[in-house]
Amino acid sequence: MKKNKVLALAIAGALAAASAATIAPAAQAADTVKIAFQGPLTGPEAQTGTDEVRGVKLALKLYNATNPAVKVELVEVDDQGDPAIAGTVAPGVAKDTSIIGMVGAAYSGATIASLPSYKAAPALAMISPSATRPSLTDPTSPDYGQPVFHRIVSNDALQGPALVRVATKGVSKPAVYVVDDQSSYATGLRDVVVPTIGDQGIKWLVGTDSVVKGTTDFSAVIAKIKKVKANVVIYTGYYADGAKFAKQLRDKGYKGVLAGGDGVLNSAFIKLAGTKAATGYRFTAPTTPLDIASPKLTAEFKKEFKADPGVYTTEAFDATNMFLAAIKAGKTTRADVLAYIKTMKHKNTAGVTISFNKNGDLNGAGLINAFVVKGGKIVLSGLA
Amino acid sequence: MDFSVLVDQFFALTIDGIALGFIYSLIALGYTMVYGVLRLINFANSEVFMLGTFATILTSKNIFGYADDTEPLTGMKLAYTLLACMLVSMLVCAITGVLVEIIAYRRLRKMGSNRLTTLISAIGVSIVISETVRIFTSSAPANNPRLLDKIYLISYMGTEVNIGSVRIPISAFEVRLDTLLVIVFAVLLLIGVDRFVKHSRLGKGIRAVSMSEQNSQLMGVNLNKVVSSTFFIAGLMTGAASFFYITVYESTKFNVGFELGLAAFTAAVLGGIGNIRGAFFGGIALGILEIYAATVFGTQWKAVTAFVVLVLVLLFKPNGLFGESLQQARV
Repeated sequence: MKKNKVLALAIAGALAAASAATIAPAAQAADTVKIAFQGPLTGPEAQTGTDEVRGVKLALKLYNATNPAVKVELVEVDDQGDPAIAGTVAPGVAKDTSIIGMVGAAYSGATIASLPSYKAAPALAMISPSATRPSLTDPTSPDYGQPVFHRIVSNDALQGPALVRVATKGVSKPAVYVVDDQSSYATGLRDVVVPTIGDQGIKWLVGTDSVVKGTTDFSAVIAKIKKVKANVVIYTGYYADGAKFAKQLRDKGYKGVLAGGDGVLNSAFIKLAGTKAATGYRFTAPTTPLDIASPKLTAEFKKEFKADPGVYTTEAFDATNMFLAAIKAGKTTRADVLAYIKTMKHKNTAGVTISFNKNGDLNGAGLINAFVVKGGKIVLSGLA
Repeated sequence: MDFSVLVDQFFALTIDGIALGFIYSLIALGYTMVYGVLRLINFANSEVFMLGTFATILTSKNIFGYADDTEPLTGMKLAYTLLACMLVSMLVCAITGVLVEIIAYRRLRKMGSNRLTTLISAIGVSIVISETVRIFTSSAPANNPRLLDKIYLISYMGTEVNIGSVRIPISAFEVRLDTLLVIVFAVLLLIGVDRFVKHSRLGKGIRAVSMSEQNSQLMGVNLNKVVSSTFFIAGLMTGAASFFYITVYESTKFNVGFELGLAAFTAAVLGGIGNIRGAFFGGIALGILEIYAATVFGTQWKAVTAFVVLVLVLLFKPNGLFGESLQQARV
């Protein structure tokens, strides 16, 4: 009997301690809140997440350096760009209510897998710097991300036609072959690219194929490309496989144009494909390089990370600043932040005022840039 | 379904398939030899392969100091660099194989545990190795500089002749230096192992243990020595496969063993597991089948087709293609 009493007391004590522990962070919440970044920080596409999270870190550093009333901490969430992993990490992020905003997810497939967790109350506002699959902002699609999903870039409904324009530019009789990797992003972009080619009136499209993400041997696709004598090959997947594919195509004597979307555009692309195979590769992406948007920030960036800014660094920086603006305006709960960003007007790094429409896309015409590999580097070649 | 590409590019695709198939064959040997001796499916073999690919890259990058954009080598320099890479990869795999046996299987075997325990131990080793490499490389892919230039020795684009109204396509025919190298060396290695197991003293020991563990011990065969040697030889072959894989595809990643290992294991079963020649032909058959399937049905159907064929073969020949007929050649 005595023993039982001691035990009961111990349990009660433990419970009290536990509830005290859960109350404590809530009391602190007023002066420190958290923003999460979700993307591939390890894995074959880790460079994408690294380039983006550095943009987030830079924005937070500049903000916290001003000694604000509410400090902001970063939570890094690694989904490896993989929907399966995203589905397992998202519930944990959703549960941590000290996280009041999410920059990400970086990838479309990972976004779709995470959405159910972030939509559940209390809903977590998302601003993605790079998830471009059209269905995410399409009210008729099951992938529709409202009320939580927003993106700070144009989507693939705009990128698809731009990619076709860039890929076929200067080619007198285009014979286009389109290859995807069956990911959510790649099939989404393909579904825009293929009808665009069909719309040209002339029979430009000579074939399509799907490979499995992580494919090592592309012999069969290359044989098909050679057979139909394609002179433009568009790959709608990501850079790790895109680089292998480009290399094998060139090794097999393919001389035509190679092009890809924002999934292939990455500083690691040249390293993986080798300068020789990468030279001349054409890309499109709804991104503005940081050195174009702001030379001053670029200098700051280089000093901080001892590295060059990458793809979507600018957009990740801007997305973070939108959340920081909400926090500055005194919004420190998930609900308040979500409501605030839906109506806010924000001047981005390039000096353009941006705002979201009701589906989570940017208002306005949008922007797609074209890039090309030249002299061992990826350079901006203008508007796509 | 489109057969026209297959018809037009028949020989070119077949040669690619054979080269890939030989890589499968060499890894399949790793599975099949161990199975022949211990009746154990050594799942760690796929990770041994993965370690070999990294060993090859480390040798060319860190020991020889070649950078990503090194110009391809020529002459003697090329020969000894490639040879060194291959030997390092083979030794790393062989030693890893032997260590895996000593650490993860030997004691279980001595204590007379059942086969299931060893199987779980094998899966455990496999996970430990691949996760360790994943953590050390942050899951990022690693690239090998191009040491061997991908030169075409024969490059015939194919054509067609019309006899009357009948169109007869003549397939393209291409032979590239790196694929040719893989084919020649793999054949030599596979013949070498086959001869070794058949004629050498140790080979006889391996075959004796394969027939009956207890009886061979009664006849004075040193069981541990034979088992270690088997793992060593299996590792050598797997290491050669790693080197060839890197020479052709030039990049690797912590999970590369999964796909390749599964394919090689399939090849071993297809040919008849426990049978050296079965691994040889199973590998080639699978390599060619995969490339044909990818060409005819689309690349995304490659794995599906390979496994459907495997199930069909096993339905009619449960011991694999060569399981019975080459019984005497089995290890």
